[in-house]
Amino acid sequence: MGRIFSSVIAWDRYAARCANFVLDVTRIAVLGARSAPKRHWRPAKRSAVMSMGGVAWLAFVASLPAIDVAAQTRGARGGTASARADAPIDLTGQWVAIISEDWRWRMITPPKGDIVSIPLSLQGQQSAEAWDPARDEAAGEQCKAYGAPGLMRGPIRMRISWQDDNTLKLETDYGIQTRLLRFGAAAPPGPRSWQGATSAQWIVRGGGGRGAPRYGSLKTITSNLRPGYLRKNGVPYSERALFTEHWDVHSLPNGDKYLVNTNVVEDPVYLQAPFQTAIHYKLERDTSKWDPTPCDARF
Amino acid sequence: MRREILIGRLIGCISLLTVVSGPAFAQVELGGTYAIRMHEDYIERGPGSFLGDFTGMPLSDEGRAKALRYSSSLPSTIERQCLAQSPWVGLYRPLALRIWSEVDESGRVVAWVMAGDYLRDHVRIWMDGRPHPSANAWHSPSGFTTGHWEGDTLVARTTHVKTAWIRRGVGIPGSDQSTFTVFITRRENLLTIMTVQEDPIYLTEPHVVSRVWEFDPRASQGPLRDTCNVGVEIPSLEDTGEVPHYLPGQNPEEDFMVRIYNIPKEAAMGYAQTLYPEYRKTLRSVYKPPESCGRYCCGWIERQGLPGAAPGLTCNDGNLPPALRKTLTATER
Repeated sequence: MGRIFSSVIAWDRYAARCANFVLDVTRIAVLGARSAPKRHWRPAKRSAVMSMGGVAWLAFVASLPAIDVAAQTRGARGGTASARADAPIDLTGQWVAIISEDWRWRMITPPKGDIVSIPLSLQGQQSAEAWDPARDEAAGEQCKAYGAPGLMRGPIRMRISWQDDNTLKLETDYGIQTRLLRFGAAAPPGPRSWQGATSAQWIVRGGGGRGAPRYGSLKTITSNLRPGYLRKNGVPYSERALFTEHWDVHSLPNGDKYLVNTNVVEDPVYLQAPFQTAIHYKLERDTSKWDPTPCDARF
Repeated sequence: MRREILIGRLIGCISLLTVVSGPAFAQVELGGTYAIRMHEDYIERGPGSFLGDFTGMPLSDEGRAKALRYSSSLPSTIERQCLAQSPWVGLYRPLALRIWSEVDESGRVVAWVMAGDYLRDHVRIWMDGRPHPSANAWHSPSGFTTGHWEGDTLVARTTHVKTAWIRRGVGIPGSDQSTFTVFITRRENLLTIMTVQEDPIYLTEPHVVSRVWEFDPRASQGPLRDTCNVGVEIPSLEDTGEVPHYLPGQNPEEDFMVRIYNIPKEAAMGYAQTLYPEYRKTLRSVYKPPESCGRYCCGWIERQGLPGAAPGLTCNDGNLPPALRKTLTATER
């Protein structure tokens, strides 16, 4: 027991001396030689207990990566040049939805009343049962299934590009829709729309001062939506819906890139629980299959 | 001499502090239980796919032919009772997920272990840098999986799996040459798992699936779902050597999706080109939605609100037998 205690004390002293040594060297490097104390580089005569200043300095040095991460997770412009400059991942390019899930509900319009998988409230179910595409067409609302929460699950190709340094532009050929993902200051309130108003924030990991690689994702929240459909056959969401998305990019060893959109639709009117799904897309090098097609209420 | 000593001390101390201060990319704590969210592919994961429904699958001709030989009685043969359980079958099943870490004496994570609605074995993701076995090594029920972190995502790779069915109840095969690249990401309380399955025998391109779970300490995984027990299910098959199957061209459900949902046979049979938006050009001229939804239309609701969740509405609950309906009602209450 005594030997163990001695070992702990010895280790503690060594670590303290070591820390003091590095702190002094770091001080010289950062602040100049005049900052170095006269007792510099004489650790043998030093106390095993660091000064409070030393502790603070050590904490600063050791936490550099964490500070870096914390600063960047504040997202937006975060005091740096722009969201584009801060981007930890590259979302730009043409992505195609791979319809390997829910094929019968995403690739084609399912029959009226087919609401399986979606946690509709009774009111939501009643609304779905009342779906009438002719009525939507007559009202000029043939794009109800092309609002952001429904569109992302659709058979889409989307092009993502920087509109400016703090705005990502998302365009789809399916329904010819455009959504703006705005970093920083919120967009000025306007009329409700199919794509709503989207605020964006980078979630950054890594990228500390040691040349370590940066990783991250994008989080977006969309509100101010015009009432629309989660599914082409009239499964509804209301104007009170909130659409939260997490965007991740994953790479395979062969260079293939996938975008995964993990999203949650919350709607106090038509859903009795959040509707949670993950949708995947593949990056296309060949952009020739881009095929703008207007909204269609029936197919 | 003094200079060399100082440089040596500097290097040693910086190394020490680097270790003490922790890595720049802290691993995400994945441990816990996660509730399933069946908001995608409810039928496939709940009651099971319809026979002849290969939609969304990039099957090769061999894969399609083998799937069409499938009979619902086939899993009752003892040799095939565990074929539904590939390592990542949890993405195709309806129960919760439990994850924990295994650490060495220094507290370092050696492996992440995933268990849940998987009736054959846990999936152990080795994090200690060990290599995959030789290509000729034994293939086990759970395969061999290694992982590493890329930011907040645990990237895993599974090899050395056994032959299994990819989807439940429909016979879509995956060969023992399948490999899986898996991306596991936790964002707040949501856990997303995306699997990319490559199979040179039965798939013409990678089969990609992404699913969501939600962290929930009370999530139930059901009773002891981590082993696959085999037993005689159809006494008349015992010791007969018979293998239930359909000969080529004789599967009566080959046209099921055409008959019930007006889906072109090509789409129902799982060709890769049917997975992409441009296939809608083909569908537009041939697809007409059925007049009404025939079965399993309510799904989630029928479990939550029986009976009378939607009085007066036409939602079809899949013709649940009265006894099962009564049981579900009691369970939900």
